Amino acid sequence: MGEAYIAVKGIFDNLGIESIIAPFTTEDTLRLGSRESPECVCLPFKITLGNYIRSIEAGANTIVITGSCGPCRFGYYGPLQKQILQDMGYNVDFIIIDPPKENPLDFLHSIKKLSNGKISRAIKSIYDAYKVCIEIDKLNEIQYYVRPRAKNKSIINNIMYNFRKVVLDAHGTKEIIEVIKATGNKLLSIPIDKNAKPLKIGIIGEIYTIIEPFSNLNVEERLGNMGAEIHRSMTIKHWAENNLIMPATGRKGYKMEKCLSKPYIPVLIGGHTQQCIGHAINYANLNYDGLVQIYPMTCMPEIVSRTILSQIEKDYNIPILYLIVDEQVGEAGYQTRLEAFVDYLKERKHNHKLN
Amino acid sequence: MKKIGIPRGLYYYKYYPFTKSFLTELGAEAVLSPETNKEILDIGSKYCIDDACLPVKVYHGHVYFLKDKVDHVLIPRFTSISAKEYICPKFGGLPEMVKYSIPMNNPIIDIEINLYKNKLNLYKSLFSLGNMLGANPIKIKRAINKAFKIHYAYKRDLLNGNLPAILIEDKKPVRIKTKSIIGIVSHPYLLYDSFINMNLLNKLSNRSIKFITPEMIDSQMIDNMCSELEKRIFWSGSKELIGSALYMMNIDKINGILLLTSFACGIDSLSLELIIRIANKTYNKPIMMLTIDEHTGEANFNTRLEAFMDLVERRQNIDNNLSPYGRSIYRSERNIR
Repeated sequence: MGEAYIAVKGIFDNLGIESIIAPFTTEDTLRLGSRESPECVCLPFKITLGNYIRSIEAGANTIVITGSCGPCRFGYYGPLQKQILQDMGYNVDFIIIDPPKENPLDFLHSIKKLSNGKISRAIKSIYDAYKVCIEIDKLNEIQYYVRPRAKNKSIINNIMYNFRKVVLDAHGTKEIIEVIKATGNKLLSIPIDKNAKPLKIGIIGEIYTIIEPFSNLNVEERLGNMGAEIHRSMTIKHWAENNLIMPATGRKGYKMEKCLSKPYIPVLIGGHTQQCIGHAINYANLNYDGLVQIYPMTCMPEIVSRTILSQIEKDYNIPILYLIVDEQVGEAGYQTRLEAFVDYLKERKHNHKLN
Repeated sequence: MKKIGIPRGLYYYKYYPFTKSFLTELGAEAVLSPETNKEILDIGSKYCIDDACLPVKVYHGHVYFLKDKVDHVLIPRFTSISAKEYICPKFGGLPEMVKYSIPMNNPIIDIEINLYKNKLNLYKSLFSLGNMLGANPIKIKRAINKAFKIHYAYKRDLLNGNLPAILIEDKKPVRIKTKSIIGIVSHPYLLYDSFINMNLLNKLSNRSIKFITPEMIDSQMIDNMCSELEKRIFWSGSKELIGSALYMMNIDKINGILLLTSFACGIDSLSLELIIRIANKTYNKPIMMLTIDEHTGEANFNTRLEAFMDLVERRQNIDNNLSPYGRSIYRSERNIR
């Protein structure tokens, strides 16, 4: 899932467990996953299933997945994927980490199983991984700033692809952080046009599809290359902060989002509906030029958000492009829609200035 | 007297007697939309966003029909109908979905039904609805008690094998000579809406096939069946389906299972897959999944249904080695689907 693999790799390195990062998701992985998945299930299910198969082929014998008991389908991924893998004839250990409030003993048990009985060390390495997430976010923000302004975009691609290769060779959170910092400095040394005023586009939607670049066909890179400065509403750090750190210290997460989305959707209905709406309003208040909502086909919570977003579009006067992704998405159609959207935003901004 | 509109869709088949009794007791008039027809479906799919599922689209059509005929349309926000379980995010966001898709003059009534933590929440919502109608607390309490009584009686009648159409609309039950029994696993809003499921229940009755629906199975039994699963199921709708399917598989008298789902149903995509995977391993009788959406042609539907009914009947007479769904009759190909 996006850059999460870097942080998770850090945790296991610190714990002394060998981890196999699934090879980067490709068309082939997705095809493999969707062949075995139910027809109408959402894209993340298919991608993750494909990834499991690929990692098992690479030699993994245990699969770790988090679970939940919320209304979103994600909560039941684990049991069904386990069943599917068994039916396919793979015999692997499945560790499903459910939230502690569901069954505290089970939670402790799976953590213990994962950390070879060293719970305090596990907690320490989770905290270290959080630090990695902070650095990843910083690196991404540098990239978002530099990409639309850089004169030669291919240098950025070069640095980022190189980074993905080098970071897998780093061992432990300390080394990983160093690699990330070095990459950030490289990006900052690229010649840029400082007077440029690029468009600002916020990316909202379902958390998996906005974080994993493969599932959204590298929307960040595409928009950046078209000369738009983007911002992603949800990141791993953001998620960890609101779901792990804040509840652990007795605070409630997602305060801003819940407060902003209250007039539109007063209660939690599952998934990230409130967050999606909250971020949309936040971006509108920050004078962003446009928003892109990305979600997998048949995603239940985001279908609700989308109906509400059509109202926000009118109330806050901000254009929103809706992109629905699944295994049959075509690259050309996607690119055309993004280009048209960026053109439209440019024209709109220009006209605003004239008036 | 205030006119409150009740759309005939989604959980209408579960809670209409309750709602009607509650509203009439407090001096309001409950206005029901007509049975689903082509017009309602078309309007629904026009106003609803395109990737929602069929029942939600139909619901939009019913709301559209009611919106100018009543003072308020009652669209409850069903977050949870039993402890520690949800329904589906679309049920939770239903008032918003309707509000922002259909232009309406009168405000809708959205009360939250949330039994996730405790029952207190339900009473709170009902009292706020009662206040809206201008009744005093004692009267509201009395209305709640009466509504609950009627609701439990309705549930008991369903359990005894009656259909909502017979109980609510006073239709005559069809007496048939039973040749075989099948179990139908589906949500009430697909199963009892004879327009969207293209008269499925009548077609079965005409062929002398008796059917068992999830509502005819004791909820205690469903809980027991589901507790054997690895992880508890946290959707009420899904639990009913899986529990009843597992129960039906264990009963010898039931000659086959029919799964009915709507295209793009989020929870069904997982739960029906789970049922089919379990059935592939342990169940030796016909099982079929039918998916419907607003484009379904009736001829296709009939062909499949007839084939299924033929299979059920033939299996009873000549019990032999017909290959069940998803498995090859050749042993060497068993693992390839």
